[in-house]
Amino acid sequence: MVIRSSSSTRIDQSPREMFQRSNSSSSSPPKVGGSLLKPWKKSSESLSDSKKHSTKGSSSTHHMSPLRNESHNGSKTHLHHNHITHHPTKDKYFKDLDEDWSAVIDDYNMPIPMISNGGVETTLRPPAVIHDESAFESQRSSMESYRGTGSNLNRTISNDLKLKYQIEVEKDVQELNSLMVRIDRFKNLTRPKDGTTQVNLTEIRKLAWNGIPMVHRPVVWKLLIGYLPSNLKRQDQVLKRKRLEFKQGVDHIFSDNHEKDVTTWHQIEIDIPRTNPHIPLYQFQSVHDSLKRILYFWAIRHPTSGYVQGINDLVTPFFQVFLSEYLSPSTKDDVYTLDPLTYLTAEQLSDVEADCFWCLSKLLEQITDYFIHGQPGILKQVKNLSQLVKRIDSDLFSHFDSEHVEFLQFSVRWMNCLLMREFHMSMVIRMWDTYLSETSLETSIGSEDLMSEGSTSLDRKSRSSASGPPSSDSRQTTLSEFHVFVCAAFLVKWSDELMKMDFQGIITFLQNPPTKSWKESDIEMLLSEAYVWQSLYKDATSHWR
Amino acid sequence: MNSNVTSIKLVLLGEAAVGKSSIVLRFVSNDFAENKEPTIGAAFLTQRVNMADHTIKFEIWDTAGQERFASLAPMYYRNAQAALVVYDVTKPQSFIKARHWVKELHEQASKGIIIALVGNKMDLLESEEDRKVAREEAEKLSEEKNLLFFETSAKSGDNVNEVFLAIGEKIPLKKNDGSNNDGLRTTEDGRIDLNRSDDVANSSGCAC
Repeated sequence: MVIRSSSSTRIDQSPREMFQRSNSSSSSPPKVGGSLLKPWKKSSESLSDSKKHSTKGSSSTHHMSPLRNESHNGSKTHLHHNHITHHPTKDKYFKDLDEDWSAVIDDYNMPIPMISNGGVETTLRPPAVIHDESAFESQRSSMESYRGTGSNLNRTISNDLKLKYQIEVEKDVQELNSLMVRIDRFKNLTRPKDGTTQVNLTEIRKLAWNGIPMVHRPVVWKLLIGYLPSNLKRQDQVLKRKRLEFKQGVDHIFSDNHEKDVTTWHQIEIDIPRTNPHIPLYQFQSVHDSLKRILYFWAIRHPTSGYVQGINDLVTPFFQVFLSEYLSPSTKDDVYTLDPLTYLTAEQLSDVEADCFWCLSKLLEQITDYFIHGQPGILKQVKNLSQLVKRIDSDLFSHFDSEHVEFLQFSVRWMNCLLMREFHMSMVIRMWDTYLSETSLETSIGSEDLMSEGSTSLDRKSRSSASGPPSSDSRQTTLSEFHVFVCAAFLVKWSDELMKMDFQGIITFLQNPPTKSWKESDIEMLLSEAYVWQSLYKDATSHWR
Repeated sequence: MNSNVTSIKLVLLGEAAVGKSSIVLRFVSNDFAENKEPTIGAAFLTQRVNMADHTIKFEIWDTAGQERFASLAPMYYRNAQAALVVYDVTKPQSFIKARHWVKELHEQASKGIIIALVGNKMDLLESEEDRKVAREEAEKLSEEKNLLFFETSAKSGDNVNEVFLAIGEKIPLKKNDGSNNDGLRTTEDGRIDLNRSDDVANSSGCAC
């Protein structure tokens, strides 16, 4: 885990950063405790309007207490103690969190230019007209007028309602403002106006960890994963070269000069029609053809791994995010239902395929040992998960043990598909904002250097296959490591329920966890929890490397 | 519901996309989905069947088909009392793979394991030309290796329940053989029953 600097502005200060900051700046237990609670607050945004959610949240928080494990040091004990005495009931606990959360919101939004005060901070000021954000602009102005008429009406209603109403409107305005500022910050970071030729990748990573606005996601993902160079002057040239390389490669493997790897082709051919069967996009023939080209080309060029089921899932977030680049801001959600050929030329589609191919390659570079023979990476991850849960939630671990539930029985899929099967695609995409921010800097910088030296990806490929399967003590990338913590956070979230279940109940529950109604705030809470666990258990993971 | 419940651990093996998950879905939920996502790792499902004088609870592990996942298979067939080795009647390659699985089970699984060889996707046979695995060939293998043999269609439901019924009839009536922890789990908590148990029990158990 790379400790980020704590110099970020308050607007985008994530629970993660706040935790980091307080954690790194304080050695006294109470402060650690206080900051530890904050990431969990992320969810309380939705708690107020969802009673059901709050019950769930409360149970998980209870189980999440590191203090259930007796082997912890004083600071954590203090936290637990604090937790018990100050929040004797769950409701009370969450009420407090809610209040705290409002405080955090205020904290977040303080420097945001507010319509109500008319103040505009020069550095963060959105340009008067931004085509991408015009939708938000209009929303914002309508919000403003809404607020104006509201104050007239309010004379006839009770003060309580008036107050509530004002708070709500205020909150909406703040959210919108915050979103606009975020959009603008990404815009400034990806297209700096001050003449610098280098985008600040560290800053982008920090910001992207907390989610990327849809309009910026395609470019930011490509930057994060190290496909698009951070040197602005080279971006167009690299894209052009990479896209051409892909096109020529594909032309070759689908020509008569290439002897088809029948087994691989067959496996891909039978898997593509059953990829994301619930999303209309993946039912189109054009999409089937695109995905087959990407996956087959990838498989041919990575013979140590080859195509493994699940990789077909992993390519799809890239595919639809990169397609969305070609849709206008207001129609981006149509990516789920439109045949790409209705809005793309064949050439553009080929560019999307190329981008997917290269980004998939980058992603899989981070987890190569998941898919090579014997899948040692997955087995190791499963083992790490079980060891982690043993420490985080020893009761649950013992319960699994007594019910003869093995981690392999439910978490292979979590690793193999990076939890993609557990969530709706829109949630997965949000999750990937964070995951791609966690990709190893080493890897992406390293390959960027290679790219700048003009070496072809073929060189890189031969390099990586020459190195063979990573040895057991090779350094684990941060994405992989973070993923284990996300899995652990995901598992202990259901701890209360699982403790009451027998073998059959547990396995069936975990195969089909109740995540259908999850919103972004739920995913963000999960990621924050994972982050906290990672910070707390850093010592426990040193041997993973 | 008969209180005398026998649990049977059953595992499904076979090449990718031959219809393992679809067979289980048909048996457990009497349902079919045209394009089911490939199984990753394994899926666990249960179904109860009322036999003449007792109830059988099938505890089914449906495994992933791709070769790359094969190293995980022993974990699932290790303690299994029954196995379905599935192939696609239109894919000769899948029958070769089925032979391998039968061999591996005889060598590695518990001695008394009951194996059913299942040729699926019979619905694809519009004419005999579509068939790529001869029935005789599969019957021959079944006789040699002492397997139950069925040709099924998970899509239409043909013969699917019969496979499980035949296994149920062949299983020795022992509530708990002590070799594993099944006894702990023979509780009245069947996840999905759908009142279908009687149908299954009443249908004819044609073992061909």
